[in-house]
Amino acid sequence: MEKVMQNDLSKIADIIARNPKEPGSLIAVLQDIQKEFHYLPCEALMETARVLGVPMSKVFSVSTFYNAFSLTPRGETIVRICQGTACHIKGGKLIQEQIESALNIKAGETTPDMKFTIEIVNCVGACAMAPVIIVNNDYHGNVKCDKVKNYLDGK
Amino acid sequence: MRIESAKHLQQLQGEYSADLNRFPQKVLVCCGPGCLANGSEKIFNEFKKILSAKKIQGITVEALKKTGCHGFCAQGPLVVIEPQGIFYTRVQVKSVAEIIEKTLAGKEVIPRLLYVSPENGRKIENYKEIPFYSNQMRISLRNVGKIDPENIRDYIALGGYQALAKALTTMQPQQVIDEVNKSGIRGRGGAGFPTGRKWDTCRKAESDIRYVICNGDEGDPGAFMDRCIMEGDPHSILEGMIICAYAIGSTSGYIYVREEYPLAVINLQKAVEAAREYSLLGENILDSKLDFDIKINRGGGAFVCGESSALMKSVAGDVGEPRAKYIRSVIKGLHDKPTVLNNVETLATIPVIMNNGSDAFASIGTKKSAGTKAFSLAGKIKNTGLIEVPMGTTLRKIIFDIGGGIPNKRQFKAVQTGGPSGGCLPESKLDLPVDFDTLTEAGSMMGSGGMIIMDDRTCMVDVAKYFLNFLVYESCGKCVPCREGLYQLYTLCNNITEGNGKEGDLELMENLSQNIQIGSLCGLGQSGPNPFLSTLMYFREEYETHIREKKCPAGVCRSLITYEITDDCTGCLACIKVCPVSAITGQKKKKHFLNQQICDRCGSCYDVCQFNAIIIK
Amino acid sequence: MVTIQINGKLVQAEKGEMLIAVIRRQRIDIPALCHHDAVEPCGSCRLCMVEITKKDWDGWSKFVTSCLYPVEPDLIVSTHSPRVVELRKTILDLYLARSPKSEIIQRMAAEYGITQTSYQEVPDGDNCIMCYACTRVCEELGCNAISAVQRGHKKIIAPPLGEPPVDCVGCLSCANICPTHFIEWNDDNGKRTIWGKQFELVSCKICGKKTITRDFAEYLVRKRNIPANYFEICDDCKRTELTKSMGKIVIAAQEISK
Repeated sequence: MEKVMQNDLSKIADIIARNPKEPGSLIAVLQDIQKEFHYLPCEALMETARVLGVPMSKVFSVSTFYNAFSLTPRGETIVRICQGTACHIKGGKLIQEQIESALNIKAGETTPDMKFTIEIVNCVGACAMAPVIIVNNDYHGNVKCDKVKNYLDGK
Repeated sequence: MRIESAKHLQQLQGEYSADLNRFPQKVLVCCGPGCLANGSEKIFNEFKKILSAKKIQGITVEALKKTGCHGFCAQGPLVVIEPQGIFYTRVQVKSVAEIIEKTLAGKEVIPRLLYVSPENGRKIENYKEIPFYSNQMRISLRNVGKIDPENIRDYIALGGYQALAKALTTMQPQQVIDEVNKSGIRGRGGAGFPTGRKWDTCRKAESDIRYVICNGDEGDPGAFMDRCIMEGDPHSILEGMIICAYAIGSTSGYIYVREEYPLAVINLQKAVEAAREYSLLGENILDSKLDFDIKINRGGGAFVCGESSALMKSVAGDVGEPRAKYIRSVIKGLHDKPTVLNNVETLATIPVIMNNGSDAFASIGTKKSAGTKAFSLAGKIKNTGLIEVPMGTTLRKIIFDIGGGIPNKRQFKAVQTGGPSGGCLPESKLDLPVDFDTLTEAGSMMGSGGMIIMDDRTCMVDVAKYFLNFLVYESCGKCVPCREGLYQLYTLCNNITEGNGKEGDLELMENLSQNIQIGSLCGLGQSGPNPFLSTLMYFREEYETHIREKKCPAGVCRSLITYEITDDCTGCLACIKVCPVSAITGQKKKKHFLNQQICDRCGSCYDVCQFNAIIIK
Repeated sequence: MVTIQINGKLVQAEKGEMLIAVIRRQRIDIPALCHHDAVEPCGSCRLCMVEITKKDWDGWSKFVTSCLYPVEPDLIVSTHSPRVVELRKTILDLYLARSPKSEIIQRMAAEYGITQTSYQEVPDGDNCIMCYACTRVCEELGCNAISAVQRGHKKIIAPPLGEPPVDCVGCLSCANICPTHFIEWNDDNGKRTIWGKQFELVSCKICGKKTITRDFAEYLVRKRNIPANYFEICDDCKRTELTKSMGKIVIAAQEISK
């Protein structure tokens, strides 16, 4: 696991301080850290455990249980491919294969240059536009297989 | 702004309503999930830019509203001009100036942007005349698409919080519960437990503290009703929760929202802040001595957290593993205190019951399933979108009259309802009325309201495999039948789709399914085999064809099919362009050639061919 | 006291007591893997499920885990109804696919007539049956060194970050409670290793025998108010010392009575 920088440590402390100092804040704190760093640095987990008074084993349980958390750093651009029912029957799997081959990584992985991460999401609730992908925060509906490259290039 | 009393609220409604209607026309830009994916934010910004720069016929930028989902996603991005009800479809940024100039300034309709009836080609001006809308009845979605969800004044102007005022000033808590009971409303999350009875049990449970939780963890893939309410009309949920708090005697509430719905989180947060500012949350609400506040919890992305005990553990900051429920959460829930957990749509409906009375609500729908229900239509259907109809409406009416039927002249095959806990119903079940009990008897369930329509190009074994894969991934892993059983069910199903199915597999799977149903700890496992069992019930021969003949009739399971180009090929190049692996070669106006070695059987060529020259073998 | 019926026989039970205790008191053999008297019940193995009904349930019955179901008056319990037996068979069959090498699983499955799984063996399946006994006992002791991580079929029991667990004191409770003996540990050369963490073992001041880990001794001194010198001498030597002093007392008493 990568080490975080000194100034990141103070950022982590700030994020934890934004939430009430109680075990019940665990998920909210981890969500805020994930939002800031796009993953949960090891130091952040330990600091969270210490400040909230939660055993480290529980912090680890929670951070591996929920989809929202990642323990490894993510790429600059996160490509989320929806695999809800509507997306599935409208060829979501095919879109996934195209994106995987275009970026030469599998879903859940990050390119070696840390530019892209592919994530699978179980329905983003934009089923009317299926199949759907989300590149960072931009939704793309009715995605066509042969246009996949355009979405990744930000067009 | 502090609202002092019910009387003060009434006075404000008058003011805000007058304020809202001070413009001769209003522009409503749909910014629901579907339209946003199609670029409606840019359209809104273009309107804003032009209307900020100059006043047009007494219309300023304040007459422009960014609203929640209008429902007709297939036609988006949508722009509605009120009060005429002019309904513009597939609006582009470049059409905005034209709409302002012609329609707002010149009172002239732009025919190019109107909805065209697929039956007779007639252009329909007013959305109320479009069958998609005219066949609906909107209660929980009453304000969605009509108001600016970020502005509490819009909600108050349309009569918002009046139901709360009525409950607080004219009714005792028990009367509120009785009214909810009499209305016959049942939980819209899928289980259909009578809401009034839940409230009553909670109120009577011995405790110093009680909680109200709104379940906004809409996890069923293919369902987005709750998302649209949370994004488009968050105050209706808050109002429902405050009424519930008054009825059961609670001072603290939580809204558990999926983090995958960032706009819902933002709009709910804004709504809670506005409600606090107006003293509709906090201490002594409307001078009634009721203290109540709401906290928003973002879900971590775990389907199992839709289950009540798992959700409550997650709210408390823990891993979302369900617990055995010999004591119900309504008696021992969050932090072991009595807790009412209601779904978004249920809570948004409560104010209507308070305002119009239980009899009015009970008169809608069927005897055992009162009121209306919101559904999302997706999959192989023309009018994808969000609708609300009275309970008891038939599947046929929903899919064909409102949904417009199946696109591309294909055949209807099945409708999937109830998400991973539900099942697939075939053509022969289309005349069933949709309510809590009928679909369950037929082997599926109404569920929370996601409807995925499937055509003859959908393989039912593949659909079952899809849901099993989903459930294996989403199982919390605590109990054996769910963790190991669903995994084995998935493995067997996967074998079948890959041509490795054996005689006896289906019987083994049926037996395993029954034991998963009775042996699992929570609803996820107990209902997990349903997608398999329902497809087996209605499409058994499709499974058997996969196993015995090693063929996939729908042409989906890749291990079992090959594509071929016939002599009907006109050489149009369409398939060559669309093939992702460049397996097709050929020249214009000459029969194309498909290299089976390269082909990965995705079916893109088959779908694009206009001449039926590609066949599945 | 309440009266319930188990397999047709009327039985007395304490109010609030869990069904499994009442059933086992009747010397009825029902299997369970996650149940242990030392820890809170969790209901994960599902093997102790029984079918229950009541006279006024109109023939309706339901299946509950007896380890988590408190006794209610007039309950009618079947511990071996055909559906229950069928369910146990399926569960043991699933366990066998996951942990084919586990002796206890093999034995329990064989008792229900299953010698080979009907399913595909789970790739990389091991003898951990995810009963949570280890994590529960660790939590009960107040250490919380290990926990269940990931979810669903990928779920495993592991220390935080997969590293030697900081909060572990090497007490071996997890290894001792594990029904399949899956948790490995060893004592060698005055050191104990468990979960990849090495501990120093305390030596008896008198005989030099290794007793518990220093971390565990310190933990007990700190949390349970046990005198610091308590662990300096091993239990055997303590007994010997006690016998010696008792002997002295007896002799002294005899002297006095003379």
